[in-house]
Amino acid sequence: MNDFFEIENELRNLRPAQPSPILFERVEEAMAENCRASVSDAGSMAKWRWRFTEWSRGDTSDMDGQLVRARQRERASQTPYKWGLGLAAAAVLVLFAAIKMERQQSGGKEIAQISREPDTAPVLKRAEESTSSDKFVPAGATRLVYNTRDEGLQFGRGSGQPVRRFRYQTHETWQWRNPTTGASLRVSYPSEEVVLIPVWGQ
Amino acid sequence: MQNLVSHENWKSCFSEVAPGLLLFARQWVQSAADAEDIVQEAFIKFWRRNHKIENRALLYAAVRSIALDFIRRDSRRARREATALDESNEFIEPEFEFEDDTQRALAEAINILPCEQREVLVMKIWNELTFAEIAVALGISQNTAASRYRYALAALRNTLQPK
Repeated sequence: MNDFFEIENELRNLRPAQPSPILFERVEEAMAENCRASVSDAGSMAKWRWRFTEWSRGDTSDMDGQLVRARQRERASQTPYKWGLGLAAAAVLVLFAAIKMERQQSGGKEIAQISREPDTAPVLKRAEESTSSDKFVPAGATRLVYNTRDEGLQFGRGSGQPVRRFRYQTHETWQWRNPTTGASLRVSYPSEEVVLIPVWGQ
Repeated sequence: MQNLVSHENWKSCFSEVAPGLLLFARQWVQSAADAEDIVQEAFIKFWRRNHKIENRALLYAAVRSIALDFIRRDSRRARREATALDESNEFIEPEFEFEDDTQRALAEAINILPCEQREVLVMKIWNELTFAEIAVALGISQNTAASRYRYALAALRNTLQPK
């Protein structure tokens, strides 16, 4: 590293710009808010009331207003993700339930058909006859991962151990087909999966 | 081993790390105000999670994570701002306090370093993190951190060498 002694010295002489004095006030305010929130026994309602008060007098000290606005922006930006994930999970559950029901129904019908039909009947014909016109059979499922993002280290709630967060954005497609009518049904939806991997320091 | 939560004089602690943290955050955002928002959020989060200042790698990891979230959230706004800045050649707050033209040239050379080299350089020089701490903060090996640092120094030296 001696080769770079000179350039390292030059870099160290370069001083980073100082933060604005207002940053210290903002951090102090946030620290005080945190203390008040933890000390208060009144619970979250009291905290919300305080925040609302701070928000409503945003014109007199816009600092508090900015802090509250920042939090509201953060919450607002997280809401669509939560809704999206919830809807995707619900859709997957519904699809699994539908597939399971279809399988149960088709199993029962096949047994009944086999017992009635002679063994000499062609297999293909029997399969076609055993399916009613309103029956859809699963024809395929794809899960396309179109984006993987490493979101860096995160801190679990109440845990000192960091975890690395990976976000996978996917597009899932489920397909059913009615062998009798040739009709097909396809459901596609975007989904997002977050994976947390524990990280150990050296 | 002082804990930030029990640290009565958190201001001295913050004033010590804030300039380096801001410089670190400025790698992802052009505006100093945005960088201050990121640093504030990271420091408060770090403080609330009862982390010790010795685990400062986690503080830098928090700044990085929040900055990446920020640019993802505000990517459209950032694009608009970048276009507007390009068009108007508006003043952007400098990341350093320059004393002469040599320092100005050095800062310009730092700005054109690849991001992964620059973040290691900023953490090492102006935040005085060890390679082990940098490795934890960035999720890379110590050897990778050290080699990125060497590459950055070599690139700066080549850029600044008189031709």
